[in-house]
Amino acid sequence: MENKLVVSPSPHVHSGDTIAKNMYGVLIALVPAFLVSLYVFGLNALILTVASVLFCVITEYVIQRYMLKRIPTIADGSAIITGILLAFNVPSNLPLWILAIGAIAAIGIGKMSFGGLGNNIFNPALLGRVFLLISFPTQMTSWPLPSTMAPVDGATAATVLENMKYNPEALSSVSDMFFGLESGSIGEMSAMALLLGLIYMLWKRIITWHIPVSILVTVGLFTASIYLFDPSPANNPLIHLLSGGLLLGAIFMATDYATSPLSKNGMLIYGVGIGVVTVCIRLWGAYPEGVSFAILLMNALTPLINMYVKPKRFGEVVKNV
Amino acid sequence: MLLSLLFICLLAAGLLAKVNDMTEKPISDAKALKLEEAIKNVVPPFDNNPVNESYKVATEKGDSLIVYPAKKGDDVVGFAVNSYSDDGFAGNIQVMVGFDTQDNVVNYAVLAHAETPGLGSQMVDWFKPQVQELSLIEKIFGFEIKKTETKSSIIGKSPGTTNFSVSKDGGDIDAISASTITSRAFLEAVNKAYAAYTQSENYTSTGATIVPEEDATEIKE
Amino acid sequence: MTKNIRILINGVVKDNPVFVLLLGMCPTLATTSSAINGMSMGLATMFVLVCSNLVIASLKNFIPDLVRIPAFIVIIATFVTIVEMVMNAYLPALADSLGIFIPLIVVNCIVLGRAEAFAAKNTVLSSLFDGVGIGLGFTLALTLLGVVREFMGSGRMFSVSFFPEDFGVTLFILAPGAFIALGYLVAIFNKLQRK
Repeated sequence: MENKLVVSPSPHVHSGDTIAKNMYGVLIALVPAFLVSLYVFGLNALILTVASVLFCVITEYVIQRYMLKRIPTIADGSAIITGILLAFNVPSNLPLWILAIGAIAAIGIGKMSFGGLGNNIFNPALLGRVFLLISFPTQMTSWPLPSTMAPVDGATAATVLENMKYNPEALSSVSDMFFGLESGSIGEMSAMALLLGLIYMLWKRIITWHIPVSILVTVGLFTASIYLFDPSPANNPLIHLLSGGLLLGAIFMATDYATSPLSKNGMLIYGVGIGVVTVCIRLWGAYPEGVSFAILLMNALTPLINMYVKPKRFGEVVKNV
Repeated sequence: MLLSLLFICLLAAGLLAKVNDMTEKPISDAKALKLEEAIKNVVPPFDNNPVNESYKVATEKGDSLIVYPAKKGDDVVGFAVNSYSDDGFAGNIQVMVGFDTQDNVVNYAVLAHAETPGLGSQMVDWFKPQVQELSLIEKIFGFEIKKTETKSSIIGKSPGTTNFSVSKDGGDIDAISASTITSRAFLEAVNKAYAAYTQSENYTSTGATIVPEEDATEIKE
Repeated sequence: MTKNIRILINGVVKDNPVFVLLLGMCPTLATTSSAINGMSMGLATMFVLVCSNLVIASLKNFIPDLVRIPAFIVIIATFVTIVEMVMNAYLPALADSLGIFIPLIVVNCIVLGRAEAFAAKNTVLSSLFDGVGIGLGFTLALTLLGVVREFMGSGRMFSVSFFPEDFGVTLFILAPGAFIALGYLVAIFNKLQRK
């Protein structure tokens, strides 16, 4: 200690909250979903997840070190989370080179182009996923059946949402969907595991309830009201809530700090928007799944929401109501 | 002010009239050539003018398709049918399907579509026998990246004997992966063309087309 | 003469319509799905630009100020119509793939912009060089963007296949890829120019 007198600007009291602490909290919350994916897809899920994390971290390191010539900040865990979420959003038989392109798009285009963590407008993992979905639609939409129920290795099947749109008789049962025994992306399988992650993050106060709950309630109410008029299985609110990437998106993607609104009311508006757009795309759009597009769309509107719904300033007194 | 604008407009009009005069014929020629090329690609060699001899055939739905008969001398060698489907992923698909006199599909050409590039747009070549075009790195390094084998070709098959619907629906044709809707629409258009062609006036129920009497006996022997 | 040469080079580098002025974005983004399409669009625009610059510069004292915009538009539209008719007659395949974007050259702000900002104030010769320079800059930019998008999207460059199409990133052929590729090209161009 040579410098005994340290002068620093405010704040002087720090809560001990750091980017890294929050990010590693999210990582722990992702563990249950990861375990389910290991059980369902076996080694493939492990390889893809590890590879995706590696690709993302390497991309970030190379860009920061050699292109921006800054000190790399890969240790804060945000690139690791992007990598895991990207892997959770792809089918378990995706070739690794496609995954690498997705990682470069997620970190390079989605994050570093805008100036790195905190400056990105769009959720990097989702941007990477949509980039791949548009570029490699064939590979991104052939879903292998879980190894526990596939008749032969490498058999593929339609996802619940595809069935919903084109083949409503072949819908999976609600309990299979809850525990994760249907075909789909690596991390979106089990509603139960994802909900465990949500509970952990709420308990650790990593996120607040506003975004996930408002998304889920909106989707539930919207599809329920349609179900009242047209009670076909394709409109069943329970299936809508449990299927596809809705839970994964609502819990882990939409709640990304940098790309969601700051105030509680803003979060509610944001969540309702995601819910409405998701259902619209699922029921009337060209794609069977709309969560990623809905979240990216509301990401783009986040600055606008922040402008109109301002958080209360610290120390500000609410005027007499 | 008015005068100068008038003068410029007059000059422009004169210039355009002149250019229009020069290009009018090439433009109509080019249009006719395009249709003729499409027909030439899908039927056996012919020497008549199918466009002049084309006629319309009503379909079950109440609209009609244009049939272009191809003849060599007086013998009919095939038909090109301009068919369509409205059930593509992005709406209307226009196809020119060619049949020979044994009901077999000779070739097809997609005239217009708005399907997703990279997915539905693959139908332009998907339903033809696969040809491996080598890219530069494959040529330089002397290896080949094999494409996956599919039974997707409709060339040389007849909708009368082969079930022209996607394997998912119990048919004999493999759909474009991840583009079942486009594949269904495309095959619907081909089947429609076949239906129109079998109902066309030059078609006889034996599967052969009208042949002059003496030739018909020759075929029997 | 050195002044005219400088005008020409300015059009390509310092005032590059796509990378620096960011004008004419509609055809830039829409027609560059392949290198050959981008180049043809650039050349068609260049022809219109040179002709309209020439005519407007020589008529500038004759056209009253009050009606100059309608007069410019009539002149530009004439040349665009000529390009469209000639292309339909002799290059029908190209005309098909460029479609509506050939007639839309009329409203390309580069053409009217150069007429208003340069040709109406300068000599015929300088206007000619300006038209060639800006047109060349536009053509080069569109060709470059087309090359990048075609290569990334389908592994081809001017229709020569470099790697199998299955490995192409289809996104680059679609609209979002146009924005992404253009954004990075503008960034690279700015970086190089600042050196």
